[in-house]
Formats: sequence, structure tokens, C-alpha cells
Amino acid sequence: MIVPLAHVLVLAAVLFGLGLVCTLVWRSNVIMLLIGIEIMLNAAMLVFVGGSNHWGVADGQVFALIIMAMTSAEVSLALALVVYLHRRKNTVNVDEFRELKD
Amino acid sequence: MIPVPFLTLLLFLPLAGSLLLLAMTRRESLARITALTIALAETLLACSAWFCQGSTTPQAAPPGFFLFLDRPWIETLGIRYTLGMDGISLLLVILTAFVTTIALLVSWRSIKERVALHFLLILAMESGIIGVFLSLDLFLFYLFWELMLIPMFFLIGIWGHDRNIYSAVKFFLYTMIGSLLMLLAIIGIYLIHGQQSGVYSFGLSELIGTNFSTATGLWLYGAFLLAFAVKFPLVPLHTWLPDAHTDAPTAGSVILAGLLLKTGAYGLIRFGYPLFPEAARTLTPLLIGLAVAGILYASWIAFAQKDMKRLVAYSSVGHMGFVALGIGAWTPVALSGSLLQMINHGLTTTALFAMVGMLDEQAHTRQIEDYGGLWSKIPIYSAFFVLFAMASAGLPGLNNFVGEFLILTGSFKVAQLATVLAFIGVILPLVYTVRLIQEVLFQEERRPLSMTDLSLREILILTFLALADIVIGMHPAPLLEVLKVPVALLTGGAP
Amino acid sequence: MKLYLELIILLPLLGGIVNLLLGGRLLPRRLTELLACAVIWGSFAATLGAAASYTAPVTVELGSWLAAFDFKAPFTLYLDPLSLSLCLMITFVCGLIHIYAVGYMKDDPSFVRFFALLNLFVAAMLVLILAENLPLLYLGWEGVGFCSYALIGFWYRKPENATAGRKAFIVTRIGDIGLGIAIVWMFQLFGSVSITKLNSMGYLMPIGVITALGLLMLLAAMGKSAQVPLMVWLPDAMAGPTPVSAQIHAATMVTAGVYLLMRMFPLIGVSPTVTAAIAITGALTAFYGATCALVQRDLKRILAYSTISQIGYMMLGVGAGAITASTFHLLEHAFFKALLFLGAGCVITAMHHEQDIFRMGGLRRTIPGTFWPFLAGAVCLAGVPLTGGFFSKDGILGAVWLKGGGFYGTLYFVGLITAFITAVYAIRMVLIVFAGEVPLNHSLSKGEGKPLPRIMEWSLIPLAVLGVFGGLLNLPEYLGSGVLNSFLSQPGSHEGMLPHATELLLQGVAAVVAVAGISTAWFRYGGDRRQQRLALESAPARGISAFLMEGWRVDALYDFMFVRPYKWLSSILWQWVDEGCIDDTLDRTAALFGRFGHWIGARGDGRVSRSLIGMAAGAALMIGWLAWVML
Repeated sequence: MIVPLAHVLVLAAVLFGLGLVCTLVWRSNVIMLLIGIEIMLNAAMLVFVGGSNHWGVADGQVFALIIMAMTSAEVSLALALVVYLHRRKNTVNVDEFRELKD
Repeated sequence: MIPVPFLTLLLFLPLAGSLLLLAMTRRESLARITALTIALAETLLACSAWFCQGSTTPQAAPPGFFLFLDRPWIETLGIRYTLGMDGISLLLVILTAFVTTIALLVSWRSIKERVALHFLLILAMESGIIGVFLSLDLFLFYLFWELMLIPMFFLIGIWGHDRNIYSAVKFFLYTMIGSLLMLLAIIGIYLIHGQQSGVYSFGLSELIGTNFSTATGLWLYGAFLLAFAVKFPLVPLHTWLPDAHTDAPTAGSVILAGLLLKTGAYGLIRFGYPLFPEAARTLTPLLIGLAVAGILYASWIAFAQKDMKRLVAYSSVGHMGFVALGIGAWTPVALSGSLLQMINHGLTTTALFAMVGMLDEQAHTRQIEDYGGLWSKIPIYSAFFVLFAMASAGLPGLNNFVGEFLILTGSFKVAQLATVLAFIGVILPLVYTVRLIQEVLFQEERRPLSMTDLSLREILILTFLALADIVIGMHPAPLLEVLKVPVALLTGGAP
Repeated sequence: MKLYLELIILLPLLGGIVNLLLGGRLLPRRLTELLACAVIWGSFAATLGAAASYTAPVTVELGSWLAAFDFKAPFTLYLDPLSLSLCLMITFVCGLIHIYAVGYMKDDPSFVRFFALLNLFVAAMLVLILAENLPLLYLGWEGVGFCSYALIGFWYRKPENATAGRKAFIVTRIGDIGLGIAIVWMFQLFGSVSITKLNSMGYLMPIGVITALGLLMLLAAMGKSAQVPLMVWLPDAMAGPTPVSAQIHAATMVTAGVYLLMRMFPLIGVSPTVTAAIAITGALTAFYGATCALVQRDLKRILAYSTISQIGYMMLGVGAGAITASTFHLLEHAFFKALLFLGAGCVITAMHHEQDIFRMGGLRRTIPGTFWPFLAGAVCLAGVPLTGGFFSKDGILGAVWLKGGGFYGTLYFVGLITAFITAVYAIRMVLIVFAGEVPLNHSLSKGEGKPLPRIMEWSLIPLAVLGVFGGLLNLPEYLGSGVLNSFLSQPGSHEGMLPHATELLLQGVAAVVAVAGISTAWFRYGGDRRQQRLALESAPARGISAFLMEGWRVDALYDFMFVRPYKWLSSILWQWVDEGCIDDTLDRTAALFGRFGHWIGARGDGRVSRSLIGMAAGAALMIGWLAWVML
């Protein structure tokens, strides 16, 4: 079964839009932010895979694998940070953390 | 030839050592000993390179290089891992290893907190500096050029005193602005060369001989010159140096004056002139003018200093002016003198900073007016101090004279007026040096300070430096012999 | 020969180094002193050996020193009559000074530093004398400068001593600029720095260049030999221990400048401008030194000014082209000036470190062992007929007369007047110090005289003998032949010879002048008149004598013209130009950027959510713009 590239791109765009909306709507909740970012990353990955399939080059799939590895590392680190932040201020609202401003 | 990739080992041994030190942050004495062992091993390694000279030149090496290593690194961009050692690099690498060892020994007791981190940074910096002296690929060169900045920034920022953060940031910004322009210029050469020949490469031997239009050449060379002039430092760009030196810990000052300043001169000799011969010739009057201005101006200002470290720092600016003069003249004799003077200045200034550091450690002041009459209290210290001060003032028979004299002899042919002015600059160091000696060592003590004379470790450090000073002063022939081939190749004269 | 030459230089060098490293703790005091003296006498023996086996000028290369491409300056020594005779004098006189110093410094705790530096001083001077190329000569030249600096400021606790040492070092170094430039220039012109080669290549260059080179070297000689206008360091240089003064004034250091000019004379003597400049410098300096010496109260200061004056004579001789006469005077002066300084040291020790001659008197009875040699030295200085000083000074004046013409004629008369003044101040000094009675308030009058170490007075005797009978070395032609003259005259040099009658006449004139000077001094200070004059002169100096007392106020002038502006400008440059202008501009620029950053920073409130919205909006804008452009 061959999916045309255009369909894949449309799907990826929709997915990306969803992720973006997620981050923008729940923008003060750090967990939701992370989820949104994950969704956007997945959208990008989808484009890579689609492109790889379309041109028959393996590079895109390699990139997809790298992104997977990277996201897992990133999420584990980010969640650890969330736990730490939650312990410090008992909240996951990012707007509470603005010590860097000064 | 040595089977193991000797240059790689030479380059990364200190860095590997610094990683090792990461594991020893809690065990100070172990960290000290490990760091020293690595530094000594590196010195041994560097010295062993001396004996590779006679061996046949490796294949594909540019002329004059007796150790050479060329491996692909990021091939798509034409970046290669190209290291090479000729006489110039050899001497500077040995100096680096030597001065780093001394920097470690100098901070043996004076650093009391975060010892391992301190030593780690020094070793990492050593790798960076050696990388600068060995790389023959512009990209690699730039990498190491930046690498050596970072540890120095932290050394000044963490262990410095007085306005340490200010000085560290100032140092960083100055050098960074220069080197970013240099990066632009490097990319510029890369692109121009690529367009001309179709081969995109950062290799120095590839890039030499690229044709630039006059204006482009001047712009690119100007960017290089700016980066190097900041490091040198040439006169209007020197104000970071007194602050950085004054506020740095002793080891920081030692490395800064002994090694980092040399990278500017080295870059100009290795990259600036060969890459842009025409532009360099056009800007020679500027370089010589700034050099002579620096000699006179900095030596004059040094006289007014109240802080010993600041005085030595200004004297550094003056002495490096001589190096710049020799490079500007670009005759074989002057260039040999400049290179020799880089070594000499490294040794002498290292010694002076170390000695000021030793005083500071005991009395916790660097103000000249707090001392006086030290000779009667600490005679061994004083004798060494006089020796190094005299070396710095260019007394014949000690090392600085040899370099300065060769520079002046060589540059007279090219720039009479500048040389005559520089001769006046030869006596100005004497003026502030004898003042320093008189105020610190002679006369009566101004404040009752209880001082103890040098410890065995300190005597050892200073004896090595003193021997080096005297031996080079009396018998510079071996060093000049090593420099002969590369200098002849650079200046296009017969060896 | 190579061995001898090596030994001449290496012995003092080794002595200095060994004493420096081992002295004090490992070597007992006696051994240090013995070593210090032994190496100098060893060096003297080696010089004698070299003299015995000397046949023709030799060049010996000991090793390489500076060599880069076509520039070569190896450790090469050159022995010819000039350097040989100077070496003999230096090692001999310094040997005596060292022995004397053992007595003089017997209570000083820093004897190790003293003897080590004294040895190094001699070594540096010998390098200077024997050097075959100019950079090596420069090595000795600066080495002498450093040792004099360290020794003049030997008693470093007193600021004025340390300052005197510093002044000597810096002022002589100013002259060195000339030597340095000359070396570098000659290398560019001739492609060589070897003295022998340079001396034979002068004809290659136009006379103007030679003149310039000669003037540069004259500048160097002015610094080292304390000639006008760079003479200010020498009077202060007597701050050091007396043996050091003797060494600086007599055997080493100050003669270096004269030696340089003699050495390079075949090259620079071609230019009449240079010889005239040398001669006029010499005459002026001779006159200057003599007038200043006339009114001084400090015993060592009198001698210091007299050194300036006598070196001026040597320069005058060089300027007249009379190298032999100059050398003769140089040697002769070394003997009697060392004698006078050492004698002065005895006096000062006997008077418990009193140097003011107005507080002295009657010493001829208390220390006769010092009085007679000192008198011998003084009559040599005064140029009393038939002493060595008479013949040597007369040789120079004769040579100046021989040059003829208005210019040299004037210089001859200046020299003659100076000779008169010299006789006056020499005898004045002797009369004030040794004649009359011991001042009542001094401890000597109470019979508490400090016994002088024997060794000090003994070392005066050979110098006295040489000073008085030194004339035999170089008798005028009509009295036989001059040993030195035939030894020093090189083939090809053509120093003119006076007709005997003229020479006799000139010597007669000189003798009359000397006797006139002595009688003048006697009429002012002799017998009972001494007390009255002393009372008169003890009052603070005024008018012309104050002017002379302060060395024509040159010090004050230089202080006003150079020293103070230098200091003042250096702090101006530092605080206004460097910190104020350059650094502040950059700091302000940096601060501007910083403020701009803060200003921007103040716009945001640091909430991540706002930033997110902003980022998204920005991205949307960019994408929209791209789409607009594309479509």
C-alpha cells in the first residue's frame, strides 16, 4: 500500500497544529507543554519517514530513530526537572518560575 | 617515525588527564599529584619530540615539518584533523608543557578550594594551547583557539581576587570579539578558495597561495590581525591584560603571560603572513608602528604602577611589542629573534609572576608601598628576584637580551626609525625594574611583615627557570638552530 | 694562548659564581675572601703568561653565542697590545683592591655578596676588554653596569645609596642606546660585528656615515666614562664601599668608554668631526670635573670629580689621535686613582666613617702608613714633574698641541688651565686632611684611633710605586725610549712625534703650571693659613662656590628637565590615557550594551507562557511572510 507524500504531509501538518495548540492553550502547565512538544516532534518525524519513503533513501528513517532516542532522553530529563520543580514550589505552573528574569 | 599517533597523544594527554581529575574532586592531594604527574609526562613527551627532528620528513608533510598527521574529520566540509610540528611549534609546545608544570607547582598550596577543578582547568587549557600550536587546519585551529579561552575565564572568575568577575568578562569579551571576526575571515577564505579552485578545504597548506583582490585581502587579514592583536596585545587593545593579570590567581597570570600571549604572535606568523602576504606587507607599517608605540607606551606606564602584578603586566605589553616589531620586520634574523623572544618572555614573565604570587601568598598584598627591605629578610628570594628582573630588563647574558638584540638587528634593515625608537624602549624597562627592586628589596621595611624565605618547592621552580634564563642567554645556539629551517621557509631566505 | 685567555676571564667568573652559590653557609669567611683574591691574582698570572707568550695579535674563538642566519657574534677574544696592557692593569689593580677589601670589609656581614659581585665586576670588565666583536663587548659593558649598580647600592638600606646605584645604571644605559644603534647599524652596513673587521672596512663608507657612527659611540662613551653631559652618576657613585669606588673609578667601568673609542678609533678616527667632538667633550669634562673638585668637602667626592676630570683628559687624548698617550694616562690614572681611593678608605676607616675633610686634620702623624702613599698619589694627580702623572698628562697635552690650529690650540689651553686647577685641588685635599691638628672634638684626638688592618696600608705601597715611577713605562723620546709606546704603536698607525725641543718646552710649561698650582694651594691652605681658610669655607657655600659644589647644578637641571616630567607623564599616561581614555571608552561601550539589554529585558515579565505566545506569533508572522513571498 502506497500512501502519497501529500497525505503524509497533511497528516503531519495537522499533528503539528494539534501539538502547537496544546502548548499554546495549556501554556502554563509544564506537563502539557511537554506533551505538546512531543506531538510536534512526532509530526516532524512523520515528515522524515514520509520523505524517506518517497525518495527511497534511508537517511530519513535514521533521523527518525535518532529523534526517538533523543526524545526519550529529553523527556526523562524534563520529567526529572518537573519533579524537582514540583518539590520546590509545589506547583507545575511555569509562570511561577521566573527567577532568571533578574 | 613513532608508531603511535604521537601528536594526538601529545595533544590529548592533558585533556584526558583533566577528565581523570573529574573523578577526584573530593581528594585534593591525589588530584594534585595526578595533575602534576600528567603535566610532567606531557613535558617529557614534548621534550622527546625534540629528538624526532633528525628523522626523515613524513610523507605529504609540508616542508619543514618533521611530525605530521593528517586524517579526515568532517569530510563534507573539507575539515581535516591536520596536526604538524616544525621547529616553531616544537619550541612553543615545550614551553607550554614547561610553563603549565610550573603553573601547577605555583598553585600547589595557594589554591585551597576546589583544588581538583583548578588543576583540571589548567590541564584542559594546556591541551587547548598545544592544539593551537599544532593545528594546520584553520577550523581545528579556531576550535582550539576558543577552547583555551574557556578555562582561563573560569580560572580568573573563580579563583581571582578583587574585581575578578569584571576582569574575566572583559578578557572574554575582548578575545571573543577578535576571534569571532577571525572565524568570519576563516570562512571567507574557505569560500573564496573553494570558488577559485573548486576544492573546499580548511587546510593551511591548501589555502596558502589563494589569490585575493587587494580589498578582500585587507579585510580578511585585518580580521585576523585584530584577533591576534588582542591576544598579543598591541597597544590600543591591551587594556584587558592589566586587569586580567592583576585579578587572576598566580597560575592564571603565569599561563596568561607565559602562553596565551604567545598564541597571538604564533597565529600571525603561522597563518597571518603566509595566507595574506600582500595584505600583510601593506599593513606592516601599522604593525610596526603599534609595536613601537606599545614598547614605549607600556614601559612608560609600567613605571607609574603601584601594584606589582600590574607592573609586570604592563612590562609584558612592552616586551611583546618587541616580538611584534620582529614579526613586522619579517627578516630572517628579526623573525628568529621574535620567536626566541616569545620563549624568553614566557620564561621570564612566568618567573616574575610566580615570584609576585609568592609574596602575595605570604603577605596578602601586592602593593609596592607595603614592602621594602626584603633583601635582609629573604635573601634567596631577593637574589632570584633580581636575576629575573634583570633578565626582564634585557641584561646581556640573560635570555631577553638575546631575543631583543636579534629583533633589533633584524629590523634595522627594514625600519630604521622604528628600531631607533625601540632602542630607547630597551632602557625604559630598566627604569621601572630598578625602581621595583629598590622599593621592594632595598631600603628599610615599610610595614612589619613576617616573611619566610623560599620553600624547597619554590626554589626548585625558580632554579629551573633561572637555569633556562641563563642557558638561553649564554648559549641560544641550539634554539636558533631549531628555528632556522622554519624561519627560512617562512621568509623565503636560504636556511 | 687560548688557555691563558680562557683563564683570564673564567677565573673571576667562577670565583664569583662559587662564592655566590656556596658562600656564607658552606664556605667559611676566610675561604671566601681567599677565593675572591686568589681568582683575581690567578687571572693576573694568566695575563702575565699571555704577555710572556705574546708575539702578535691573536683571535681566539671560545664558542658560539649569537648566531642567526648571517648575523654572528661568537665568544671570540682578541688580544693585542691595547687589550693586553689594559688586562695587566685591571687584574693587577683589582687584585690589590680585593686584598684591600678583605681588610676594609672585615666587619661587614654581607661579605659574600660583596666579594662575589666584585669578582663578577672584574670578569665583566675583562670580557669588555678582550671582546673581539661588539655584541660581546656589549655583554661586558652591561655586565659592568649591573655590577656597579649592585655594588654602589651595596648598603641598600639607605635610600640614597640605592638611588645612587640606580642612577648610575640608568644614566650609563642612556649612553648604551648609542652603542646599540651603532652595532646594529654597522651590521647593516658592513655585514659584520667583528671589531677587527670593522676597523679595516671604514674606507668603504662615506665620511658622513662614519661621523654618525662615531657620534653614536661617543654617546655610549659619555655614559660609561661619565663625560659631559652624562657625568651626573659618577659623583653619587661613591656611595658604595670604598674598594668599589676604587674599582669603578680606577680600573673598571669608567675607562670602558675611553677604551671603546680607542678600540674603534681606526674606524671612527677618520672623521675629523668625530675627533673634534671627542676632544671637545674631553676638554669640557676635564675642566668641569676639576672646577667641581675645587670646592668639595667630601673626600670621596673630590676624588670622584677628579676622576671625571682625568677621564676627560683621556678623551681629549683620543680626540687628538694620541691613543698611546691616552692609554698611558689611563694606566697611570688607574694606579694613582686606585691609590687615592684606597688611601681615602684608610682615612675614612681611621676617622670612623667620617668623610667630611673639614672635620679631619693632623692625620700625617696618626696614620703615617697611609699619609705617604696618599701623598704620592696626590702628587701624581697634581702632575708634579717627574712623577708618572706628569709624563702621562703631558703626553696628551703634547699631542693636542701637535694637532695645531685654533681649535686644538684652545683645547690645549683649556687642558693647561685644568692642570693648574688639578694641582690646586689635589694639594688642597692633602693639606686639609693630613696637615694641621686633629680636630679637638674628634675621638682621634683622645687617642682612640681605630687601628687600621695592616693589609689595607700594605696594598697601597705597590700602587704608590707604580704611580710615581710609572713614568718609566713611557719615557719621552729624549730620555730614552717608551716601552709602552713601542709596544702599543701598531704597524700602520702614525701618531705624530713632537720635536724634542718642543716637547721639552711643553713639559717645561706643564711643570711651571703644576708648580704654580701647588704654590697657590700652599698659599691658601699651607701652614697657619689652614685654620683660617677652614673657618671661612665651613660656612654654607654661596654664589660661585655653591654652584661648583653642586656640580654646576646639572643634577637639578636634569631633575627638572627629564626626571620629573618622566614620572609625571607616566602617571598621566596611566591614569588619564590608559585607564581614562582607552579603557573607559570600552567600559562605557560595554555598559551601553548592558543597559540596552536591561532595557529590552524590562519589557518582558519572565513568564514562559507569554514567551510561548510571542514565539508562536513570531513564527506565524515569518511563515506568513514567506508564504506571501512565495505565492
